[in-house]
Amino acid sequence: MGGMDGFGPIEREADEPVFHEAWEGRVLALTRACGAWGKWNIDKSRFGIEQMPPEDYLRRSYYEKWLWRLEKLLVEADMIAGDEIERRVAELKQGAP
Amino acid sequence: MPLLTAELARRLIKEGRTAKRDIALPAKFKPGDRVVARNIHPAGHTRIPRYVRGRRGTVDRDHGVFVFPDTNAALAGEKPQHVYSVRFGARELWGPDAPARDVLYIDLWDDYLDPA
Repeated sequence: MGGMDGFGPIEREADEPVFHEAWEGRVLALTRACGAWGKWNIDKSRFGIEQMPPEDYLRRSYYEKWLWRLEKLLVEADMIAGDEIERRVAELKQGAP
Repeated sequence: MPLLTAELARRLIKEGRTAKRDIALPAKFKPGDRVVARNIHPAGHTRIPRYVRGRRGTVDRDHGVFVFPDTNAALAGEKPQHVYSVRFGARELWGPDAPARDVLYIDLWDDYLDPA
């Protein structure tokens, strides 16, 4: 990150796949599809990631940040309710289809 | 009608979208001008790196007119303005231990700059 050091060398992966997990591709697709509604723009979405708590920002993977950001943008744009995701996660944990 | 078709998605991923605006606006600076990056700390989004704030540099070239990220991020308008490639000496940014011949080019918007 700009102006910061101490993160160690960049680890290069041989034959690095586009996505390391299938869910990462879904996050990319969801972000694009939701962005097409035009409720935000690239600068607002960059600001979204910047608002992640620093201790999470440094720990989370690239697409984990994207997912966190998408959920935040959807709530801010009133496209979903603030507790909608937590409620759905709870339902799924209890075996809901 | 779907907002995002497969074809549109393919194009967006491949080409992206430009923040360049075809508007004739007067430029505050021209190549060769000495400038100082404003020492600002906005609460919202900004694209001016912390390590250039308050530092002096030279305008290398004018990229043209682009959307201003600070206002655009706040959904407060595009506020299009000139963006310049500004050259900073490594010692100006990192101090006397930096190599004397190293320089850094940073793209900066009109609103990030004052005449030096």
